[in-house]
Amino acid sequence: MASSQFFPSRDRDVAFPILGSALLFAALVGAGLLYAALQGGTASQNLVTSMFIDAMMVVGLQIYVGNTGVFSFGHIGFGAIAGYTFALLAIDPADKLARIPEAPFGLLDVNTSPVVATLVAVVVTVLIAGVVGIGLARSGAKSGSVSATVITLALLFVTHEVAKSWTDVTGGDRAGLAFGIGDTLDGRLALFLCLFASIVVARLFAQSRSGRLAQAAREDNLAARAMGINPTVQQTIALLLSVGVIAVAASLRVYEVGSVLPNLFFFDYTLLTLVMLVVGGRNSVSGALLGVAAITAARELARRLGSEGFEIFGIGLDGAPLDWIFREGLPRVVLGFAMVGFMIWRPDGLIDDWELDGWLHRRFGAKSSRPASAETLPVVEEHVLRTDEVVVDFGGFRALDGANIEASNREVVGLIGPNGAGKTTLVNVITGMVEPTEGRVELAGSDLTSAPSHEIARAGLVRTFQNLRLFSSLTVRENVEVSCLVAASHRVHSTGVTADELVETAGLWEHRDRRASELDYGNSRRLELARAAGMNPTFLLLDEPTSGMSDAESLEMVEHVRRMAATVGAGVLVIDHDLQFIVGICDRVYCLDQGTVISEGSPSEIQADPAVQAAYLGTAAQT
Amino acid sequence: MTELIQNVIDGLGRGSIYALLALGVAVIFGVMHLLNFAHGELITVSGYAAYAAFSTGWSWYLVAPLVIVVSILTSLVIERVAFSRVRNASSFTQLLTSFGIHFLVSAMFVMYVGARVKTFSEPSWISDTTAIGPITVEVFDLVVIAVTAVTLAATVVILQKTMFGLALRAAAADFDTARLMGVDSDRVIRGAFALSGALAGIAGIFWLMRAGNTAPSSGIDPMLKGVLAALIGGLGSLRGAVLGGLALGVAEVVLRSQLPGTAAALTDGVVFALIALLFIFRPQGLITVSHAERV
Repeated sequence: MASSQFFPSRDRDVAFPILGSALLFAALVGAGLLYAALQGGTASQNLVTSMFIDAMMVVGLQIYVGNTGVFSFGHIGFGAIAGYTFALLAIDPADKLARIPEAPFGLLDVNTSPVVATLVAVVVTVLIAGVVGIGLARSGAKSGSVSATVITLALLFVTHEVAKSWTDVTGGDRAGLAFGIGDTLDGRLALFLCLFASIVVARLFAQSRSGRLAQAAREDNLAARAMGINPTVQQTIALLLSVGVIAVAASLRVYEVGSVLPNLFFFDYTLLTLVMLVVGGRNSVSGALLGVAAITAARELARRLGSEGFEIFGIGLDGAPLDWIFREGLPRVVLGFAMVGFMIWRPDGLIDDWELDGWLHRRFGAKSSRPASAETLPVVEEHVLRTDEVVVDFGGFRALDGANIEASNREVVGLIGPNGAGKTTLVNVITGMVEPTEGRVELAGSDLTSAPSHEIARAGLVRTFQNLRLFSSLTVRENVEVSCLVAASHRVHSTGVTADELVETAGLWEHRDRRASELDYGNSRRLELARAAGMNPTFLLLDEPTSGMSDAESLEMVEHVRRMAATVGAGVLVIDHDLQFIVGICDRVYCLDQGTVISEGSPSEIQADPAVQAAYLGTAAQT
Repeated sequence: MTELIQNVIDGLGRGSIYALLALGVAVIFGVMHLLNFAHGELITVSGYAAYAAFSTGWSWYLVAPLVIVVSILTSLVIERVAFSRVRNASSFTQLLTSFGIHFLVSAMFVMYVGARVKTFSEPSWISDTTAIGPITVEVFDLVVIAVTAVTLAATVVILQKTMFGLALRAAAADFDTARLMGVDSDRVIRGAFALSGALAGIAGIFWLMRAGNTAPSSGIDPMLKGVLAALIGGLGSLRGAVLGGLALGVAEVVLRSQLPGTAAALTDGVVFALIALLFIFRPQGLITVSHAERV
């Protein structure tokens, strides 16, 4: 495709995100420094410093949780690993001798600068994250899966137990590792650089190819695989990047605090960072930073109201019976309330997935001009899709019993049959979503039987779904861009059709910046088709594209499918009940009944076939 | 040999408590598909209720039923106040809600009762032993095992023989279909939380007897044991939860007696790591309740 492999648009996906990151950084740091200056004293300086560190942590967490939708308890565990690694390397040998005289591996003699210690901590933690990532991938982690919760929780817990019990190295629960480096973060320059870099990394990743594919998989794992995305690869990239940021932040935190104990990175900090992430909006970096600022302010307010009574910030309520609220321990209660309250009333956070740079780009960026509808593309090379004696048993039920069909990318082939005939099962077998008990699937002579879904999609067989599976919180244009991005790196031939042209061809240009979930039914169907076309497929496999449509709409759909297929030069294999639609669009039709092909021919031949009529009307076939 | 048998009985005593906790976790997971991190808070709340009752001079015989009642009520209140509002939300939202409740409850106790541990006297017979042939066992373990057996039998009767049990099992198998078949979803879920609270209450009696104290963070341990045992058992499966609880109890006692000091303290960590590995290598075998996606 015309656009870059990594960032679809240089303005929208690179320049504006960097600008937006700078503004977010400036706002957070400005607000923090202003507060500290107005308040004065070291306490407020420390508060602001730890807010900046928390911000880095939360941005790191956002890179993974936001883009993949996979919930992680484990990131603070990674922080613990990084924090201890940093401490062990950076602490003065004399201090180590006092606290952990039995330390193995010659750790006692190591004395590196904080910068080197941070780099080593990042490398070590990211390597461990790689192993954990493989485990998560194997367990089939995806948005909302229990396995990811359990594995990441286990990581947090095991890290904590090790930190508590391996006293030779960690100093255990009591001693801890305190610092003899002398320097602290007073200068803050390193902190500012790291925080700014984290925000930029998070924003660029979200706009990058990898980030977009991860978000697509977050929205719908199955549909993402059907579009040639391998979710585990994108999730792992997000994990490594996010853990890298966390590791730097954890090193800074240990440096700032001046010591490390097992509880520095455990449940309490997990809760704090998670609350910050979800209050602002976990799907957005702007939201994550907003959450950090809001929760830091709320906690500080609660602390001061709790400890100093209610004569603070001009709020003087002497005599009001409010000491049942304003007392010690209020900050924790506020955190707990924030978590539960936001989950109940605003689970997507204050600003959901709104991004500052996205807004700026829509407002001030160069407007993309309306593209021309895409030209139609002649089919150059003939490819044949063939299923050979496919058998599928579900337990004792035989859904497919030796189904043979053959289709060329120069034609539109229909697949009809009564309910339960095995039509969808056959498409599921072809697209790798159901493993056949026997039989083969071939495209252009190469065997695709039992290949993973995303490889089948990359080979050129791209499907739509009976029950519509759009990436619902992505915009219309982003939906199509995702498949164009996959096509750009995995499809050999380029059609030269851009995502914008496809959106225009689908008649959705006016809706391009709306969320897919906001579209009406007909437009959703058209978008699903445009998204499939973006993959530059050899074949479009359409599972009931007109289900739930009126007669007029399904006639429109005939035109629409023809045009989309012609635009990318793809053949079509379509399942439908709607005879009018099938007759209108198909060159050739197969009729399936009880898992086998009972008839094949032109639409009119099929309509006239008594075996077909018998199958539909339920009478015994008379042959 | 006798030591082993003694360990196993000791482990079954411990494991019975875990089994009751795990069963409560599994019942909720069955109907709501929610891993309830707030489960341990039932024991925190009833622990404080017990403490309050003791300080007005109640005996264990009165406190025991009180613990059960408080646990059931707490469970219902948490459902009404929080979980009923996120019932149709994503599992992400539900999980964080339960996590938030866990913190909120302990934070409230810190704020209103204080962070200090509150102690009360254990029952006098807690460390009595009795000899069965060559084996010396704690009376407490025998009582726990017996009460658990009766509780489980009662639970089986409720689940198998009552309309509520049928509705609950139907809802656990397929919540939406059960609703279409006329199962009142509100009642089933409230019932599930009540059952879960009752089981936690019975477990809580023994937990508190053994601990002899309560603190704001008391909930973490029972929550962890319940969740771990339910995970071992495969989460959705009630029978699995019970077996998981017993297995966890026996494993703990055996490991503690066989391993040197520091390693024994790692039991939970080891179990957790093993469960994580199980999820990594056999995700399909463990998550028995996940339904195939329809495409």
